[in-house]
Amino acid sequence: MSSTRTGAGRVLVAVYGVFALAATARSLVQLLTKADEAPLAYGLSALAGVVYVAATLGLAEVGPQPRRLAWAAVGFELVGVLTIGTLTVLDPELFPDETVWSSYGAGYGWLPLVLPFAGIAWLWHTRPRD
Amino acid sequence: MTSRAERPERIGAVDGPLPLALIAGSLAFAVVVLAYVALARTPDWGLLGFAGLIEAGALVLLVIAAVQVGDVDLHGGGTVTLFGYLIAGLVLLPIGFVWSLAERSRGATAVLAVVGLTEAFVFVRVLQVWPS
Repeated sequence: MSSTRTGAGRVLVAVYGVFALAATARSLVQLLTKADEAPLAYGLSALAGVVYVAATLGLAEVGPQPRRLAWAAVGFELVGVLTIGTLTVLDPELFPDETVWSSYGAGYGWLPLVLPFAGIAWLWHTRPRD
Repeated sequence: MTSRAERPERIGAVDGPLPLALIAGSLAFAVVVLAYVALARTPDWGLLGFAGLIEAGALVLLVIAAVQVGDVDLHGGGTVTLFGYLIAGLVLLPIGFVWSLAERSRGATAVLAVVGLTEAFVFVRVLQVWPS
């Protein structure tokens, strides 16, 4: 079985780590200072932050079952960015403020849309082969 | 007593040349790292020294912001956001180097390019958050 944290996986973990830090910190500040303005949007961003943290830990092979954690996190992330992305494209006024997954992550250089595909591809590439 | 607007632009101002130099330096660092990746070179003392310069600049910017933050009006979570970015600018490089140097591979070296680009983004956000 190949490791998910070596080679190109090291870059992927770094990018996921940056997103984990950014999304979590940003949503925490928003929830602590202006939660009443857009509670659903900020709550969704916080959820995205938790998902990025889980993906980072899973891909960095931290914890007892890191591969399972990584699969769950990137799977949830893919569903999240596609669902929130589609909803916000159909109805741009859905949330009073942007979430990290709004418009498929266009506000973040489309990286939120690319990342789950990269994560799934890497997990598949490094899958256990008996 | 002169107001902020009447003061000549100083090198030691949060919205002065220092963050612009840090943005340019971080982007240049990322480009140099990508050249290292292309040439299959591993990080050396030169790259570490380059990162050290950016780190020193980030520390100076944090101190300047701490001194000048009382002079500006940062409403809402502006102060927390500003110092969040400044502290991120300080910790990203050390964490990135630890993660990168733990392995000798092109992927591990490329981690530093991600760090350089993120550093540049952090300093752009500092400028955006700081009231001009």
